[in-house]
Amino acid sequence: MSSALPPLAAAGPILVAAILLALGHHLPRRSADIVAVLTALAVVGLGVLMATRTGNGALLHWFGGWSPRDGLPIGIAFQADLAGSAMVALVGLLFAASFVFAWGFFEEVGVQFHVLMLVFMAAMCGFCLTRDLFNLFVWFEVMSVAAFALTAYRLEASALEGALNFTVTNSLGSLMMLAGIGLLYARLGRLDMLALGEEAARAAGDPVIPGAFCLLAAALLIKGATVPFHLWLADAHAVAPSPVSMVFSGAMVAMGVFGLARLTWTIFAPVAEVTAALHAVILWLGAAAAVLGGMLCLGQRHVKRMLAFSTVSHTGILLMGVALLSAEGLAGTLAYLVGHGLVKGALFALAGVLMARLGGIDEIGLRGRGREIWPAGLAFAAGGLLLAGLPVGLMEEGTKLLDAAAGSEPYPWVILAVPIGAGLTGAAVLRATGRIFLGWGEVKGEEEHAPSEDEAEKANRPLPLMLAPVVAMLLLAALLPAHLAAEVAQHAATGMMQPGITPASVSGGEVPQHLPLGLLGLGLALLIAGWHLGRSRLPTLLSEGVEAVSAPVFAGLERLHSGLIGDELAWILAGLALLSLGIWFA
Amino acid sequence: MSALPWLVALWLFAIGFYGMMTSRHYVHLIGCLSVMQSGTYVLLLAAGFRWGAGPPIFSDHPPGTPAVDPVVQALVLTDIVVGAAVTALLLALALQLHKRRGTLDPEELKPMRR
Repeated sequence: MSSALPPLAAAGPILVAAILLALGHHLPRRSADIVAVLTALAVVGLGVLMATRTGNGALLHWFGGWSPRDGLPIGIAFQADLAGSAMVALVGLLFAASFVFAWGFFEEVGVQFHVLMLVFMAAMCGFCLTRDLFNLFVWFEVMSVAAFALTAYRLEASALEGALNFTVTNSLGSLMMLAGIGLLYARLGRLDMLALGEEAARAAGDPVIPGAFCLLAAALLIKGATVPFHLWLADAHAVAPSPVSMVFSGAMVAMGVFGLARLTWTIFAPVAEVTAALHAVILWLGAAAAVLGGMLCLGQRHVKRMLAFSTVSHTGILLMGVALLSAEGLAGTLAYLVGHGLVKGALFALAGVLMARLGGIDEIGLRGRGREIWPAGLAFAAGGLLLAGLPVGLMEEGTKLLDAAAGSEPYPWVILAVPIGAGLTGAAVLRATGRIFLGWGEVKGEEEHAPSEDEAEKANRPLPLMLAPVVAMLLLAALLPAHLAAEVAQHAATGMMQPGITPASVSGGEVPQHLPLGLLGLGLALLIAGWHLGRSRLPTLLSEGVEAVSAPVFAGLERLHSGLIGDELAWILAGLALLSLGIWFA
Repeated sequence: MSALPWLVALWLFAIGFYGMMTSRHYVHLIGCLSVMQSGTYVLLLAAGFRWGAGPPIFSDHPPGTPAVDPVVQALVLTDIVVGAAVTALLLALALQLHKRRGTLDPEELKPMRR
């Protein structure tokens, strides 16, 4: 169905950004804030509107009227299916929340923050809606460049170094992506993704196509911060200003997973080598990311770093749903993605509240100092419980769908990575809540290891204004009716799978059986958080025994994250080699 | 089509990656990134090249005469623009970092983090 709506989602914010940049100096104070919030809300509206209109098939727009001639696509199209539209709505929502949260935060840089953020938002919308592979790359690049500039905004040593490593690793991803696109175009002669899918089905057995997939997947996994491509993430997310971190963790990382799902289901599904590699390698990478990310998250005391590693963990979970290669798995990923985006956005905003109100971000240094801002503590605890798998809302529904999808796997227990990852990250957030807001969990002799750099953010905003978007996001993530969410997610997933492209079969499992995950994640989270907070009251023998076993593991994991750019690149190369091996043996 | 451009692209990719991994200076590292980027351009141009074909400009010869693929050239041009923006941003970041820390060696920058 032809429609003029999809291009608006990308063009609108860019136009507003251009106008803001041109008129910036003449506008009254705060007007940029108002314009930005309204634009983001308009994008939410547009996303919802497009979603409601996708009932009779995706909305299609050929730019400049260059529609296919004789079945040969010669132009560039935007195609809004239900999943893409929902992503647009999520992106708009996160940006609206971020703009409200950042009200007046960026006064001294004038409108530049808003301009960058609006371009960032437009790039994400374009990324979700485009049907052209090279166009996808262009939006990917625009997204990256805006993100690089936003990370380095504070121009402090740590922010600069985090931004440099972020830029280098992600630029490397971009050029891998371009090389992959070049290879695909060389073999198949198309850039339209649907046409590429048809051609790929015809060119079965061509070894270059799986090679191109390797490069494209590596690029998207770098953006999606999957083990072992994830090392840039913790530094970048920890040093970016909080309103920017909200969007990074909530939406940008998810874009990597969404892009991989999009490419898998439009281009690569008929290529047996690729589906086998997805199933053999990426499923396990996702599971590893979920567990390792959770452990790393638990090992942090810098709250923003902790949340960043929790993003690694949850992105691993999202990736598992894509690699399960079924409608239910994809639906689970989509539902989980939206839920996680909202919760993580809220948690990063709360970390920003800590930095603005308490002038610090070190969990141990802030112990007990959060009592004066107790409403933030309630929200923090709610976020932690939702991450851990409180049986309400979107994330729970996503977990259920993932569990069902894994039931037909040869190794259904791989799904245990979901409650373990969720439990570990939830435990870390609950532990931080207990320490900061209740003063529990005293740690002796640890204060001198506190991060040295001054981590305060501007405290020029009233607390209710900062908490309003947090509460809105948490409520939305928790209270959306479960059956509705599941139904929409399944529609979105089947809409993403192109008709006529059936995935090569991957598993011989006949009897789908669910593992009863139930409250495993939540229980694990409460147990670990309770352990950390109450350790000083337990018998010394017990607490020190566990410490002796676990401390070297956590220290070793932390040592791997040296923050050296050379190490990060070496791990990326290792990941690329792993993907290639997976395809080689598949 | 000969294998030479593909080998050149692969070589540039590999040597650039090696340079980045072992780099002890951020400006050198950014240069290596540009080398890798050039590898991608060679790959793209090789994908669109045809022996005996002219440039894809039809002002002085009739449409329909063999021409190399203009699409990949457009792709390369687009990426050169983006690449220039990223390199400029990277160099600006490196400059600011040098102003604050007095060094651009990743190993020496390490101790102050966290």
